[in-house]
Amino acid sequence: MMHAEMLPAWAALLTALLVLIGAGLTLFGAIGTLRFATFFERVHAPTLGTSWGTGAIVLGSIVCFSVLGSRLVVHEILIGVFITVTTPVTLMLLARAVLYRDRTEGNAGVPARLASRREQQGRTEAEDGDGDAR
Amino acid sequence: MELSPLFLILALPFVAGLAVVLLPSDSRDPATWLAGITTLACLVLTAILYPSVADGESVRYQVEWVPSLGLDFTLRMDGFAWIFSMLVSGIGFLVVIYTRYYISPEDPVRRFYLFFLAFTGSMLGVILSGNLILLVVFWELTSIFSFLLIGYWHHNQAARDGARMALTVTAIGGFALLAGVLLVGHIVGSYDLEEVLKSGDLIRSHELYVPTLVLILLGALTKSAQFPFHFWLPNAMAAPTPVSAFLHSATMVKAGVFLMARLWPVLSGTPEWFIIVGLAGMASLVLGAYLAMFQQDLKGLLAYSTISHLGLITLLLSLGSPLGAVAAIFHMLNHATFKASLFMAAGIIDHEAGTRDLRRLSGLFRYMPITGTLATVASAAMAGVPLLNGFLSKEMFFAEAVETHADSWLDTAAPYAAVLGSALAVTYSIRLIHSIFLGAPPESFPREPHEPPFWMRFPVMFLVIACLVVGIIPGLTIGPFLHTAVSSVLGAETPQYSLAIWHGFNLPLVMSIVALASGALLYLVAGDYLERSERPLLIGRIDGYRIFELVMVAMSWRWARLVEGIFGTRRLQPQLRLVVATAIIAAAVPLFYAGLGFGQYGIGVTDPAFVGLWVVGMICAVAAAYQAKFHRLAALVLMGGTGLVTCMTFVWLSAPDLAATQLVVEIVTTVLILLGLRWLPKRTQTLAEPDGGLARLRRFRDLALAVMAGAGMATIAYAVLTRAPPESIASFFVEKSYAEGGGRNIVNVILVDFRGFDTLGEITVLGIVALTVFALLRRFRPAPDTIERPEQQRIQRSYDEAEPDREPGATATDYLFVPSVIMQWMFPVIIVLAAYLLLRGHDAPGGGFAAGVAMAAGFILQYMAAGTVWVEDRLRILPVVWIGGGLLLAALTGTASMLFGDPFLTSYFRYAELPLVGKVPLASAALFDLGVFGLVVGATVLMLIALAHQSIRRLRAARIEENP
Repeated sequence: MMHAEMLPAWAALLTALLVLIGAGLTLFGAIGTLRFATFFERVHAPTLGTSWGTGAIVLGSIVCFSVLGSRLVVHEILIGVFITVTTPVTLMLLARAVLYRDRTEGNAGVPARLASRREQQGRTEAEDGDGDAR
Repeated sequence: MELSPLFLILALPFVAGLAVVLLPSDSRDPATWLAGITTLACLVLTAILYPSVADGESVRYQVEWVPSLGLDFTLRMDGFAWIFSMLVSGIGFLVVIYTRYYISPEDPVRRFYLFFLAFTGSMLGVILSGNLILLVVFWELTSIFSFLLIGYWHHNQAARDGARMALTVTAIGGFALLAGVLLVGHIVGSYDLEEVLKSGDLIRSHELYVPTLVLILLGALTKSAQFPFHFWLPNAMAAPTPVSAFLHSATMVKAGVFLMARLWPVLSGTPEWFIIVGLAGMASLVLGAYLAMFQQDLKGLLAYSTISHLGLITLLLSLGSPLGAVAAIFHMLNHATFKASLFMAAGIIDHEAGTRDLRRLSGLFRYMPITGTLATVASAAMAGVPLLNGFLSKEMFFAEAVETHADSWLDTAAPYAAVLGSALAVTYSIRLIHSIFLGAPPESFPREPHEPPFWMRFPVMFLVIACLVVGIIPGLTIGPFLHTAVSSVLGAETPQYSLAIWHGFNLPLVMSIVALASGALLYLVAGDYLERSERPLLIGRIDGYRIFELVMVAMSWRWARLVEGIFGTRRLQPQLRLVVATAIIAAAVPLFYAGLGFGQYGIGVTDPAFVGLWVVGMICAVAAAYQAKFHRLAALVLMGGTGLVTCMTFVWLSAPDLAATQLVVEIVTTVLILLGLRWLPKRTQTLAEPDGGLARLRRFRDLALAVMAGAGMATIAYAVLTRAPPESIASFFVEKSYAEGGGRNIVNVILVDFRGFDTLGEITVLGIVALTVFALLRRFRPAPDTIERPEQQRIQRSYDEAEPDREPGATATDYLFVPSVIMQWMFPVIIVLAAYLLLRGHDAPGGGFAAGVAMAAGFILQYMAAGTVWVEDRLRILPVVWIGGGLLLAALTGTASMLFGDPFLTSYFRYAELPLVGKVPLASAALFDLGVFGLVVGATVLMLIALAHQSIRRLRAARIEENP
């Protein structure tokens, strides 16, 4: 095992680049979360960090420690997998909760419930049928 | 461990008691055999030991217990202990035979024999203890088992009350005795009985002598039912008769006088001893005999008579003369013999005639002549008729009462009290025989009486024959044994005494004749009145039972309510305020006297990233406090932020173990609090603020308290950080962790190995906390405004019900569909993670605690994803089994080392060769860690389940409202 100072220049540069990309994407995501106006816009921004933000940092870590240890170190991939699996759960829960709240409070800009839509359709068809009969 | 006969005598009854429990439930005869063989074995073992104690020596058996505290498991048998353990095991054996016929097959026989044998063991423990603390332990055990035995028929109110009273009185006495024994240990410097017995002069001249004496006597007098604590004994008569025959004649009540005789060489001979013991003894002697005359219940009469006879023994011990002690020991034996036989005869009469009421019993002699004869002889011994054993000790008593020991009114009164008590004893003895066996044949009995089976009568017969034999040829029978017992108590002071029946025509004989004649005369004159009396003359209205009840009600109900009213509160805020204020004062007082004293070190953190991290954490914390009033959810999220910063700090400062644990704990607490939020009373900003100076003042006070506590804590922490680190044992752990604990993760090795006992205690506490939370939530009554379902649930429900093609609860299921599938997929992953954390714990960050919480997080996720009902349909989690199993495993791992002769919780470590896997380190500490894991999983999941069930449980009022 070598110390970080002994990292070859190409590896150091590659690692730095990857980590910077990852950190930058995450920062953009954070700024986006702050800046976007509505919830549904904002909910997309942090995924920058949890997708390629994490991915780039994981790659950087793999490069750095593989070179330092002179063998392939890949267990960071697990971190990536966990984040990829769990983030959608969080976001879906959040989005559905907000969707539900908006529907219940009758806020504008959200699609209506499926069942009530069918109901409306049914009503229009019934009216059409009446018209035909007349 | 060598098996000394002494140890066997003590251990056999307890082992046999446990064995009885394991028998099938309808095994009356096997249980009887087992109990009988056990008591017989104790008897034989004791008898075998006689040669070793006959010449004034004692047998000792010692195992070190806590030697640093002077506590050893010491057993010691001298002549006095020998004769008492003969008495206990002998009468125990007879009682077992008697019980076989007395207890009906419908009664839970195993329970009886379990308590009986455990009591026998405890009583033998009191007798054989060679260490005063050990004696107190067994003393308390006799109180507990007597409570259980008296309350054996617990469906009976009288039995429950009697048992409770006996326990209350004797346990208070036992507590006083413990305090007294501790004082003795303080004075002598040892609890060893032999040391104590040698230090009589030291104790008597010590300034703490009087408190010691009073405390020990409090124990002895309550146990022996001496005035003014006598009232529990008659109420204990609701016990089954074998229990009364054993406990209330031969053993339990004898423990008090046994202790007084045991410590007689150390404590007696002072004016204080004479006044206290003499007064109690004399009052019990006369009062007990007087009250016995008026009893209409056969066993009640015997109970008061026991009080009277124990009073006689106490009075003899109070005199402080060696001859008095001889007479006392002799009478202990004689009283046990005739009173046990009388109790058993009373049981036979009760059994055969169906009643114990002296007013209804009459003319039984023609139905059961043999039992009648036996009871008559035993009563005569109780009355002190010549040629019976009671006469001999009573003569000695009279002789001692006449002697002048200390010049006081008490001493002058002694002979008169003695004659009076004896005369009354004659009266009640005659009344006993006359009203039961003589007189007109009864008009109606509940059933037709007849003689009992031979073996039920056999114990009575045996004891009555013993009374006769000892009474006629005392020198040849009891003489040598009594001498051994007496000389072991008195040592060099052993006086010359004679057990002959005829000492010539002297004053004691005159007193005996006067007592017999006046007692008989009294019965002739007042017999009819006694038969009809409702309550005792003159003092009938003073009822010990009622006074006791009044005191109990006052203490346990009125005073308790009063104290609760003053100090208690139903609101959390004042309690918190009190706790915080107390903590501030507790910290401020030592700081005020010793000063704070900052060291010369700076904090030394200059890394801007670290400082920034902490700024974020602090902002989160302050914001959480700011939002806590109206936005609890936001406050909780912010608290999570602070927790994460703490985790990162641990990582930063190279404590990955703490970080991992903190992280999982953080997750689980957040979820649990989240689940609890719904039950907090609602608070909205639209609510009217209470205004006025008082409310404002209250808030300023709370703010001041909070700031003081927080700032004080920060200051102290800072002051500590600036000082040079003290010499700690950390380097020891670093050195020994791998070498002796077999693990590279020092934190974990400390937890499961070096400080394993602490951890065992901690997980026990955790288990208790979880059970408490569960118990509290089971009876949880939410605030009125949270009983109703939350708004969201109501809207969903009404929507689901309004739609024809939707199930109730479908909205939540639909919304959670995709996330819940993923969360269910995560379950095995989390289990693997938990197993990984557990297995690597000994060498790398992780361990049982972190693994347990991670596992619990897995369960929580399932509950969240699919709902309580769904999960519990499919997954059977038994949290209490997890808790119990974990605790048991941890404790058993600790105990296993004792099998190899090492102290509790010594860990064992080696490498093992496994096929395929290769060399694997194996430490017994890993098993211990597995126990920790199980307990943590159980405790966390139990709390979760309690909360989850709370949300699906509907209060009755709310249910009715919804589904009218």
